[in-house]
Amino acid sequence: MAKKQLVTKVWIEPGCIICDACETTAPDVFEVQHENDTCVIRPAALDAEFNKPRTKAIIDAAEECPVDVIKFDTIEIEVSDAEAAADAAKAPAAASAAGAGAAAAKLEPPKPKEVDPAIQALLAATTVRGGHVVLDRGLEDMPESVRRMAKLSPSELPPDARQAKVLDKSKADTKKEPEGASRRDILGVAGMAAGWAAVATVTGGGTLAFARFMAPNVLEVEDPKVRCGPLSKYVAMAPGDVNEDYKPVKPSGFWIIRQEDRIAALSIICTHLGCIPSWLPNDRKFKCPCHGSGFKENGVNFEGPAPRPLERFKIYLDGDEVIVDRSRKFLAMGPSDTAVWNDPEAYIPV
Amino acid sequence: MNGLNTLVLAATSDGGLGSVIKDLLNKASVPQIFVPLMAIGLIVALLTYRTWTRPAIAGLLALAAIAFYVWSATDENFFKIIVKPDNVPITIMLTATAIVTWLAFRQAAINDARMERGEPLIESGADDKVLVWPDLVYTEMICLVLCSIALIVWAILLKAPLEPAANPTNIPNPSKAPWYFLGLQELLVYFDPWIAGVLLPGFIILGLVALPYIDKNPRGNGYYTFSQRKMVIWVFMFGWVIMWVVLIVLGTFLRGPNWNIFGPYETWDSHRPAALLNVNVSDLFWVVLPEKTGLWSPGLPKNAVAGIPAMFIREAPGIVLLGGYFFILPVILAKSVLSKLFKDLGLIRYAVFWLLMSWMMLVPIKMVLRWLFNLKYFMALTEWFLNV
Repeated sequence: MAKKQLVTKVWIEPGCIICDACETTAPDVFEVQHENDTCVIRPAALDAEFNKPRTKAIIDAAEECPVDVIKFDTIEIEVSDAEAAADAAKAPAAASAAGAGAAAAKLEPPKPKEVDPAIQALLAATTVRGGHVVLDRGLEDMPESVRRMAKLSPSELPPDARQAKVLDKSKADTKKEPEGASRRDILGVAGMAAGWAAVATVTGGGTLAFARFMAPNVLEVEDPKVRCGPLSKYVAMAPGDVNEDYKPVKPSGFWIIRQEDRIAALSIICTHLGCIPSWLPNDRKFKCPCHGSGFKENGVNFEGPAPRPLERFKIYLDGDEVIVDRSRKFLAMGPSDTAVWNDPEAYIPV
Repeated sequence: MNGLNTLVLAATSDGGLGSVIKDLLNKASVPQIFVPLMAIGLIVALLTYRTWTRPAIAGLLALAAIAFYVWSATDENFFKIIVKPDNVPITIMLTATAIVTWLAFRQAAINDARMERGEPLIESGADDKVLVWPDLVYTEMICLVLCSIALIVWAILLKAPLEPAANPTNIPNPSKAPWYFLGLQELLVYFDPWIAGVLLPGFIILGLVALPYIDKNPRGNGYYTFSQRKMVIWVFMFGWVIMWVVLIVLGTFLRGPNWNIFGPYETWDSHRPAALLNVNVSDLFWVVLPEKTGLWSPGLPKNAVAGIPAMFIREAPGIVLLGGYFFILPVILAKSVLSKLFKDLGLIRYAVFWLLMSWMMLVPIKMVLRWLFNLKYFMALTEWFLNV
C-alpha cells in the first residue's frame, strides 16, 4: 500500500511581505489584502475537507513563499498502489485543469509561476552589513511594500526565515560577480594594505620609542670620588654632629658624621624604600618622611620599617683632604651587625 | 534660638565644648584606638543593618556626619588637610562609600525581611531590559556630559597639585602617595617593600579573582541579601572598609610630618619629638626575655650551630611563630572551628582560602602588635630581604 499526504489545515505566521505569490498559486485558499497590508486564508480554506483536494497547490504555495510563513498540517492516508499511480499520472492534468477553472472563475489569465517582481525588487534592495540584513539601496524605485518594510524597526521585521532567504540571495549575487578584480576587490586590498601599514608604523615606532626610553638618559658618569675639604673642618665638629653639605651631590649624596673616635660618610638613601630622610638635629636622628623610618645619629635604624642601618661609603685622606668614594659601600645587616663599619676604609680615625 | 547660639559658640570657640571634643578626638586618633573604634563601628553597623539603613535613620546619620564635617572644617588644621587638592577626592570617596554601602545594605535588609515573611524579592519580576536606543545611549550621553562638566569645573577650581622638581635637600615632609595608594603606603610602614608593595596588592587582586572559586554558593546571585551570605560579606566588608578605606583615612588625616601620627585638629609640627624603639621577635626572645627571667644569657646568637647559619638561629622564634601561623593554625582550625568550611571546600580550596585569609589577617595582627608593643618584624632575615 502506498501512502499519500493530504493537507488538512493551513495558516500564515507573522512576517508576510504581501507578495501575491501564494494567491497566484492557490487563489481559492489565500487572499492578499493590499489595503490591509496582510494576507489571509479565505474562510472556505478553514475546512479540512476543502483543503484536502488542494494539497498540491498549498504545498507549492508554501514552498514558493519567499519568507516561508505559510505553514500547514498534513495527515497521511493509505491508498492502493493503483490509485497512487493514477494520482501521479493525472496530477499534471488536474493542475492545468484547476488553473483553467480558476482563470475562468476570476476572468484572469493564469500568471506564470515565477517570483513576484516585488520580491525581486526587495532582494535587489537588500544588502548584508555587519551580519545584519539592511534594506537601503535604490528604495525610490521599489514598490510601496518594500519601501514600507525599509522603514520598519528590526523588531518589527519578519523573522529569521526571511533573513536567511535574503542572505542566500545576497551570497548567490556575490558568486555571480564577474571574474577578475572588481573595484571592490581593489579597494579592499588597498584598504587592507593601508591598515597593516598603519599597524606596522605604530608598532615599529612604539618599539623604537620604547628602546629609546629604556636606554639610559645619563650620558656622563659622575666621579664617584668627592673631595670634601680639610680634615680639620670635621674634627672641629662636636661628636654626634652631622655635616649636610654633601646631601645634594649627584648621583647619590651623603652625610659626613662625627663620632667620638672617627668620621664616616653615610648614604642619604633610606634602606627601606629609597626615600631621603631628614636630619632632625633636635631629636638627634634621621627621619624618613615616607614611611617613618628613623635612624640614630650613627645611622643605626631604630624605628619604623627600615630593616638595615644607613649605608656607609668609603672615606679616606688624601694628604689633609677628606675624600669620599661612593664606588664602595659598607652594608650593615642589622642594628647589631655593624662589624663591617670597622673596616679601615669605612672611617677616618680622629 | 538662644540655646542654639550658645551651642554654636561653644562648639566653635576656644576652650569651650568644641575644644574638649577636639581634644578627645585627637587623643582617640592614635591608631591603636582609632582603628579598633572603626572596627567596632563596622561590627555594630553589620549587626544592626536592618535598623540604620532605614531612610529616616540613615538620613539622620548622614546629616550628623555632614554637620560634623562642616564643624571640623572650621578648625584651621583640619581645613588645611581637606582643601589640599590631593585630598579633595578623599571627601568624595568617603561620601560615595557611605552611599553605596547604604544602598546595598538597604536593599539587602528589605530582601531579607521579605524572605522571612515569604514575600517576593525586590528583584523578582523586575524587567530590567532597556533598549539600547534611545534609553541606554541617552543615559550614557547625559552621564558623559555631566562627568565632563564636573571634571572641567574641578580642573578650573583646583590647581593640579604639582610640586617643584625633585631636590634631595628639600623633600616634602610628609611625602605622601596619591590618595588611592595611601592604604598601601600605610602597609609599607609594617612590612618589607616587596611584601607591602607587591605581594599584598597581588593577593588582593588574586583574592578577588579567586572569590567565585572559593565561594561557590549560588545564593545571593542576582539579588541583594545579607542573611544568606553572612560570612562572605563580613570578610569583604572587613577587608574593604578597615583595610582599605580606614587606612586611606589614616594616611590622609592622621599621618603628618616624619610620618608621625597627628590628631585631625593638631598642628603638624615637624619637630615634635616622637620616640619609638622598634624590636624584632628575635630581640624579645634572645635579649628581653632572658633579661627579665634570667633563663639564658642575653644576646643575639652570632655563631652558626651544627652547620645552621647564625641568622636562622637568631630568627628561629619568629620562624616558628610564622610557620605555626601559616601551616599549623589552618590544620587546627580545620579540625575545630572551621571544620564545616573545610568539609565544604575540600583540601585544595581550603588551602587557597587560608593562603589569602592568613595574609589578610596578618596585616591587622602586625599593625596592632606594632602599635601596642613596637614589634618590628616577626622574622628579620635582612640578608635575604625577607622581613615579615
